[in-house]
Amino acid sequence: MEAVIFFLAAIGAVVGAIGVVASRNPFYSVLALVAHLFSLAVLFLLLTAAFVAAAQVVVYAGAVMVLYVFVVAYVGSTHEPTFDPIPGQRLFTFLLAFFLFVEISAAVLSSALKALGTHGPDVPAGFGNPAAIGNLLLEEFLVPFEASSVLLLIAAVGAIVLANRKRQAGGGATPSGRPFGAECPEGITPPPAPRSGDPVVSSGHSSAAGASGGQHGIPALAKQNPGSAQ
Amino acid sequence: MAGEGFVAPHVDYAALAPLIALTVGLIVILMSGVFETTKRWAPGLAVLTLGATAGLLIWHWNEQIDLVAGALRIDDLAISISLIATVTAFFTVLLSVRERAAEEAGQGEYYALLIGSVLGMVLLAEAENLVTFFVALETLSIPLYILCATNLRRERSLESGLKYLIVGSLGSATLLYGMAFVYGATGSTDFAGIAHGIAAKGMLHDPLLLIGIALAAVGLAFKTSIAPFHQWTPDVYQGAPTPITSFMAVATKAAAFAVFVRFFVVALGPETGDWQTGLAILAAISIVVGNVGALRQTSLKRLLGYSGVAQAGYMLGGIVVASEKGISSLVFYLAAYLFMNLAAFAVIVARERETPYGDDIRGVRGLGAERPALAWSLTISMLALAGLPATAGFIGKLYLIEALVEGNYLWLAVFIAVGTMISLAYYLRVVAAMWMTPGQAVAGGPGGPEPTPVISGASPEVDPVDPRAGTRWYLVAPAVLAAAITVFFGVIPQPLVEFASHAGASLF
Repeated sequence: MEAVIFFLAAIGAVVGAIGVVASRNPFYSVLALVAHLFSLAVLFLLLTAAFVAAAQVVVYAGAVMVLYVFVVAYVGSTHEPTFDPIPGQRLFTFLLAFFLFVEISAAVLSSALKALGTHGPDVPAGFGNPAAIGNLLLEEFLVPFEASSVLLLIAAVGAIVLANRKRQAGGGATPSGRPFGAECPEGITPPPAPRSGDPVVSSGHSSAAGASGGQHGIPALAKQNPGSAQ
Repeated sequence: MAGEGFVAPHVDYAALAPLIALTVGLIVILMSGVFETTKRWAPGLAVLTLGATAGLLIWHWNEQIDLVAGALRIDDLAISISLIATVTAFFTVLLSVRERAAEEAGQGEYYALLIGSVLGMVLLAEAENLVTFFVALETLSIPLYILCATNLRRERSLESGLKYLIVGSLGSATLLYGMAFVYGATGSTDFAGIAHGIAAKGMLHDPLLLIGIALAAVGLAFKTSIAPFHQWTPDVYQGAPTPITSFMAVATKAAAFAVFVRFFVVALGPETGDWQTGLAILAAISIVVGNVGALRQTSLKRLLGYSGVAQAGYMLGGIVVASEKGISSLVFYLAAYLFMNLAAFAVIVARERETPYGDDIRGVRGLGAERPALAWSLTISMLALAGLPATAGFIGKLYLIEALVEGNYLWLAVFIAVGTMISLAYYLRVVAAMWMTPGQAVAGGPGGPEPTPVISGASPEVDPVDPRAGTRWYLVAPAVLAAAITVFFGVIPQPLVEFASHAGASLF
């Protein structure tokens, strides 16, 4: 039974991961990522890591994915022009990726294959269950736990700094309150608006940016997108 | 263990005091940004916070305490690096007075982010555990990503922030991946536990551990901008607001080197011989790439970026030998680097505001006749970075080379010497531009001979020109002070040597 579930989840994880990079439509990529993350959660459950599995589903498959879907929905599936700024760069990338793959395979196989016949590492009972993790966070990892809260505060402040810039630029200059879809359909370069030179930088903080400067920030992101081929 | 209730770890509040001071300062500064009347106090509050932190750090000088269940360790290495970060932040506050980035981001937010980054650095210098290490590194980096982009109306600044975010996140991810492997191989996240695991099992027979260390080293090399992981450095340095560039160049490097030392010398200490050669090769590549890359730069910030890559290579030499002397020479060099670099950056800030050329080398033409105080500061800084005698840079290099020779890395010492010779070419070019080209009417504002500022690119608004920026006390004083300290420690190095050797001795 355990083996069957393992292989089902493992195949799901691999197929999902391939789907993320292989599909051309970003929306399918996001869906494939959800499938991948759910399969990973099942694998974590098999390892009796209930907390990690739950966090995986709630945080990644839930919250982060919703964010991705929002971004994809706003930005749309415009086709990014792909070109190589440095000739031969793509080949070089494949080469490096291949070497990294070999390297990590060597590490994982050499240590994991040896452990196949055994019953795994010796860990105390309850290792990795939610209660144990809670204890760890308040005992051994108290400082990083507290530091993370400061880190989150700083990140929130940063997101506000980046999202707030329009207001300081002067009230009249903002393209305020216009629904994005009505103004700029997908793939068409929008007319140059005031301040269109300012791209939205915060990508990891867009949730906070959306909260305070949503109507201003998101059109800027969309406008930046067709023009800025990296 | 599960469900049995927990045993609260012992918390030594006295030893945590510097961290507490920074956190309180961060929140007070943030709150000060709320009211119109208190907004102006933010720089003063930042200085106050930094002063309190420095005082509390010095209070713990010569102590060696493990804090809060082995998450942190206060020792002279941590304190000396934290002091370097604090002093750099103090200079940055001065350079940020009337800086456009600070006004656009909001005074409270700008200085709060700066203090947040210092908090991350102090945490990182004290980190003795992989988890603390990572959280501290992020606490250091995330405010910097944002600070780089705070000059919200310049495209270069936004580009710089975005680039730094992407590259920095890649570095963090690599590092985290490596840490997971290291934990998997040794079964511990404490540096002491990792050292114990390695001592028991050896290192070369375990591919999992080797790859973990390699990935962690790559992540750290990203943060310290060691070649070939340096490509972001010139772009980010050039685009970021100059006070932030100076902060990044010095303080980030110092904090990242502190944890580099702790991770390699403490956690991987039992197998020193296995990683020395790898790091030595990285150092050599860095010295060559940085010095050759700097030769063709016309932007002073890019030039200092590449020079920073080369200097990181020199400093890595101190870790390579993994001896008390090596670490001491690294700390000495970092302290000297602080003053050498800040003198240069203070002059660049002044010229950026004064001339329409931005940080282009044309901005310092004829500086010798026009603003002798600034010109002397920049000259001393350039000569010190090049390692000329009677400056702290010379003593620093001498000290590093001595450590390398004692540690049987003569070839790396030769690299440092050759790199220094190459570096003279670009440092002296700046000096020549100041003293040997005739002054132009650069201070005339945007109506000067070449009204299009090279730096502004596609910026919707040209940066305002302050024709008297070169005489403002908050720019001239840091430049002159930093240059004077550079010369002072070049002539009388003893106090700084003592400071650095305490740091080195705390690990062995």
